[in-house]
Amino acid sequence: MIAVWIVLAVGAVLVVSFVFGFNHLVRLRNEANTGWSNIDVQLKRRADLIPNLVEAVKGYAAHERGVFDSITEARSSLLRADTPGAAAQANDVLTTALGRLFAVAEAYPDLKASQNFLRLQDELTDTEDKIAAARRYYNATVMRYNTRIQSFPGVLYAGALGFTAREFFEAEEGDHAVPQVDLTPPTSK
Amino acid sequence: MTLQEQIRANRLRSLVLIGGFAVIILILAALLGAAFNLWVGAFALAGALIYAVFGIISSRGMVAAMTGAQELPPEQLRPIQQLVDTVAIAAGLSVTPQVRIIDDPAPNAFATGLTPGKSFIGITTGLLQTMPKRELEAVIAHEMSHVRNRDTRLMTLAVVFAGVIALIANIAFRTMAFGGGGGRGRNRGGPIVIVLAVVGFLLAPIAAGLLKMALSRRREYLADATAAEILNDPEAVAMALRRLEMDPTTVRHADVSVAHMWIESPTSRVQDAPPGGSALAGLFDTHPPLASRIEALEQAGGFKLPDRLPDEQPFLGVRSTT
Repeated sequence: MIAVWIVLAVGAVLVVSFVFGFNHLVRLRNEANTGWSNIDVQLKRRADLIPNLVEAVKGYAAHERGVFDSITEARSSLLRADTPGAAAQANDVLTTALGRLFAVAEAYPDLKASQNFLRLQDELTDTEDKIAAARRYYNATVMRYNTRIQSFPGVLYAGALGFTAREFFEAEEGDHAVPQVDLTPPTSK
Repeated sequence: MTLQEQIRANRLRSLVLIGGFAVIILILAALLGAAFNLWVGAFALAGALIYAVFGIISSRGMVAAMTGAQELPPEQLRPIQQLVDTVAIAAGLSVTPQVRIIDDPAPNAFATGLTPGKSFIGITTGLLQTMPKRELEAVIAHEMSHVRNRDTRLMTLAVVFAGVIALIANIAFRTMAFGGGGGRGRNRGGPIVIVLAVVGFLLAPIAAGLLKMALSRRREYLADATAAEILNDPEAVAMALRRLEMDPTTVRHADVSVAHMWIESPTSRVQDAPPGGSALAGLFDTHPPLASRIEALEQAGGFKLPDRLPDEQPFLGVRSTT
């Protein structure tokens, strides 16, 4: 008789802990989804700012074709990216290309003083701050979610119920072309 | 606890608060009904409900009026709203609270609202003129934590309910004084006054307990810790608190009923107000001293701040150059 009660009690504890664990996973997944949509919105906003920025700079420095092409290319690969990892990588490439564009803009005082350019620059900085903020939240949430489904007892049922590990929003090491680091001191600025 | 679990815990506290409030109001109304007649009780009950609903619906506007928080045209607010948007994203919110500005030289800030989408964060001009961007961001993150954890809703409910109970108690005592005065020749005051006083003594601790639960000091530590986590920068939060501590001024709109909302409690500096005033006043002194909040952050982050921070380029100074 006692054995039956013990079995029942253990069963009840297992069921309850499963219910709580499952609900916890659902909440974490929803938080990760919110985090990702916040990143996505800002990536789109960043991509939307690019054509205007390119037009603004072209008005002053039409001959810098190489810079414009690399930016346009980075932008379209950002828009095509369909996983967090790919998006992060395309976003990094775009950041590098934009860095070159702003370096070019340094040489054109009229451009740097133009209201339109300043506003676009301000918007881009704001977008970058927001992407960084959204990345922090998303990656922290994904970390907790992944830990949960890969550790005991989540690992027992998470996979069967369709909870799969999420990708971080960060460029994968190795996928990346090795950055060209120029260590010679700058001659003029 | 995940964010959702914190929200659920606060939702449960809100429900307990609403339930406790309903019970207290029912008891008060029943007492009034027994003491005078059923109509007085029913009238008090209806009045309390209407007052509570009205108070909750209009709380946003009332808080804005009591603190002097103004809406500004979006173009003027742009740099601040950008910062608030960024912090909202870092906090994992899908909507952004509005920003309102309080024209007051004392640096301070608060948040209010029933849901994140309908909340606003009030910031004094003094805060913008004192804090550099990093610390301003920390203050906003502290307020964002209150919005995110639904502290703001809990506090709104608590304050409205406390107001309703105080109002009913007030009316009851006035009615008794009127009845006891024998103006209409019916003097039933004597024993009933004693009964009501006894019940009042019994109810007061319960009401106070509910309020304490809602306005717990732990909430401020929790919001500081959450802000540090949102920004991944406990030092910035501690520095912001230190700068608030260094500043000797206090906000003009230091009304007791909104005092609990500010990041730096204005009541700590108006302690020498007449002590007999209200037994509730002590409860609203909900903020732990800034020094111990800074200490908690120092321990968590493993750093030590100097007693005085050097002056830095304030956020508003940055804004005027662009």
